Amino acid sequence: MKAEALPLTPDAAATVERLERLVQREREGRLQAEAIAERGLRELYESQVRLALLQRITDCANRSNNFSEAIGEVLKEICEHMNWAFGTAYRVEGEARAVSCDAWYTAEPARLFPLVEATRERTFHSGEGLPGRVLRDSHPHWIDEGELATSFCRRVAAASCGIRSACGFPVMIADEIVCVLEFFARTAMIDKDAILLTVTQASTQLARVIERERARAALLHDALHDSMTGLPNRTLLDERSRAAFDRLPESRSGLAVMVIDLDGFKAINDKYGHHAGDIVLIETARRFDQALTASMDNQRRTSPTGWHGTLARVGGDEFVVVLDGVRGPAPAMDLAGALIDTLKAPIRIDEELVNVGLSIGIAHSGPGYTTVEQLRQDADLAMYEAKSGGHGGVVTFSESLGNERRYRMALENELRDAIREKQFTLFYQPIFALGEDRQLRGFEALIRWNHPRSGLVEPGGFIPAAEAGGLIVFIGDWVLRQACNATARLHKRLTARGLAASKLPYISINIAPQQFLQPTFSAHVQRVLLETGVLPELVRLEVTEGVAIIDPDQTRQVLEQVRSWGVKTSLDDFGTGYSSLSYLQNLPFDTLKIDRSFIASMDDPKSRKIIRAILDLASNLNLSVVAEGIETMEQGALLREMGCAYGQGFHLGRPLDEASAFALVLPESDRTGA
Amino acid sequence: MKGVVFNLLEDAVVREHGLLAWDSLLELAGLEGSYTSLGSYPDSEVIRLVDAASTALGITPGEVLRWFGRSAIPLLHERYELFFSPHKTAQSFVASINDIIHPEVRKLYAGAGCPHFHFHDLEDGRTGLAYQSPRRMCRLAHGFIEGAADHYGNRVEIEHLSCMLEGHPVCRIALDWSH
Repeated sequence: MKAEALPLTPDAAATVERLERLVQREREGRLQAEAIAERGLRELYESQVRLALLQRITDCANRSNNFSEAIGEVLKEICEHMNWAFGTAYRVEGEARAVSCDAWYTAEPARLFPLVEATRERTFHSGEGLPGRVLRDSHPHWIDEGELATSFCRRVAAASCGIRSACGFPVMIADEIVCVLEFFARTAMIDKDAILLTVTQASTQLARVIERERARAALLHDALHDSMTGLPNRTLLDERSRAAFDRLPESRSGLAVMVIDLDGFKAINDKYGHHAGDIVLIETARRFDQALTASMDNQRRTSPTGWHGTLARVGGDEFVVVLDGVRGPAPAMDLAGALIDTLKAPIRIDEELVNVGLSIGIAHSGPGYTTVEQLRQDADLAMYEAKSGGHGGVVTFSESLGNERRYRMALENELRDAIREKQFTLFYQPIFALGEDRQLRGFEALIRWNHPRSGLVEPGGFIPAAEAGGLIVFIGDWVLRQACNATARLHKRLTARGLAASKLPYISINIAPQQFLQPTFSAHVQRVLLETGVLPELVRLEVTEGVAIIDPDQTRQVLEQVRSWGVKTSLDDFGTGYSSLSYLQNLPFDTLKIDRSFIASMDDPKSRKIIRAILDLASNLNLSVVAEGIETMEQGALLREMGCAYGQGFHLGRPLDEASAFALVLPESDRTGA
Repeated sequence: MKGVVFNLLEDAVVREHGLLAWDSLLELAGLEGSYTSLGSYPDSEVIRLVDAASTALGITPGEVLRWFGRSAIPLLHERYELFFSPHKTAQSFVASINDIIHPEVRKLYAGAGCPHFHFHDLEDGRTGLAYQSPRRMCRLAHGFIEGAADHYGNRVEIEHLSCMLEGHPVCRIALDWSH
């Protein structure tokens, strides 16, 4: 028996339907798979291309030290990558302006000409145009075809170049927008996410370049400006003044240099501290800058091609103004007046009000100058001349000042030779007790310069030059050592002859202020005492009041120190300088020396009153007194009557060379051996 | 030829003539017919498919290509809407072929040999389109342009000024969008 087949009556139509659905599902599955694969391929491709682009942009950013160098290449890379028609950049100036930096790229300059022209050299204010909107909002903006055709401010130019879309991007450093990038395309900008990703990363690289550029500019600025006042420093001033000098016409006229020094600045520093000094400098710089700007503005109103001034701080309290393009001496003089006026109002330091004065030296360029440094030196000299007057003010360099300078410089050079070749010699002027027996009590060592051509030169002929040239320290040291040596030798001989120590003559040695205020001075004195073996008690160091004026604290310290070793101290030229009683009270002196000018005018009762007062004062302070410059017997007698114990002068004994001077105290038989 | 072209052709044939028509066409052309958009296939296979369709439908291969181009546009729109949406007119869409569409095609299919269309202004105000390709498929381009016009609701008049199929070195097509 044949089994019946299963009743599978295939419905052909249904099967076809099923198969068609199956095919359709397969088809759709394939399409989906393709779409997924295509998306992956597309993303892979785009990220590869984008990475390559960013690599090129990063390389470019790493190579470039300045923005203008990098921006052109970055714009080109982005435009080529995006297939955009035109790219340009704006630097942000201040807070509200995007200024075209005339950097742009287009593959078709001729076709894009109208838009390039409408864009380069443009400035957009915040909110204005596409760059202005990016600037205002600090985020990207897109402009599509519709907006481009209706409200875009460069729409005519854009339309004539076939532009259909535009976008703008900020370049940010932290929260600060520093640059705006703007791109135009002749097609719609579709994949905004991809564009954003790419341009944002390019912007980051550009921001790095700008940051580096800023760091370099800051370094450069620091190198060329004074950090405290923000003014140009010596380096920048030198650069500018050299450039200005090189531009001068053949007549070399048109440049003026003003050297300005603050009077009383050191006293403020000493009294209130460096912080106060800094406040004074900063305020002074501010007022100078204001005055200079006002002067320049003022003259520009009358003449459009006026002078230009550069103010610089070149040293502690020294400022320089270089005036370029001046006609005649008036502008510099006027400016000097303005600077002095601007410092008339006191400067506030915390609760105190202080005043500083100015010494200003001016020099004008002329045919005699071959370098700006010479001009500067002459202005310096004029400033010192102004300062030496004591009350500041303005001095313009003149030929006679120049002659003086040349003479002084020649003298300085000769003095250098003299120090090297030991052309100095010491003379000794005896100092006597003014009593009946007129006993010789000591000598004052006085320097003479045994000039190879001029013969013996008195100190007045070279000490000022030595002081100005800083040579006084060397000369002073030589005097100190030489005098101590000679005195030690003398004492040795006298002691050998049986003279009691109490009868030995002392040596009085002049110490210049510069020498005295050297930080190593007291140590140096100690060394000389040790090395020469002179008795400290028989050494008197004479300083003038000037020392105490310059630095009272240090003066007191040094005086105390040398006195602790037994050395005596003497205040020279008393009565001529500031003669402040407070100095006398606070400074440890043993002796006062009445200045020769009072002795010379002793006929005048006024002088006698002063001498009387000095003697009373000295007596009260327990100081011995030596009268200098006694030239007549009468003067000597009168001083003795007034109670002055000691004196020196031509009448008593002229300064003599060592042998002759010491002969005064050596026994007859010994003199030839001196 | 990129597989996507075969897929589009299949879709167009299926849409107009039914599922089995594509199978018949493959049979006529003597082809296996497994095409995926990710692959590349010999140009000759397209030509054999077009020739088979030409024989079956009794129209020239050029007419087949033109029909295919025109029919492919709605299919392309389904697959790649992003190429269409930025444009408001067919003219704008067509103009973007070199700069947008073909670069995009190259992103998907590395090494795709996309033709370059040189657009220029003709003296009579029409747009000139010069095309030169060993595939000599100017009729496909013709169809694409018509399809684009259909899609955007524009009218275009297309004239072949010269044609490689007629022995000219280059195909020159004039487009008149002014209507």
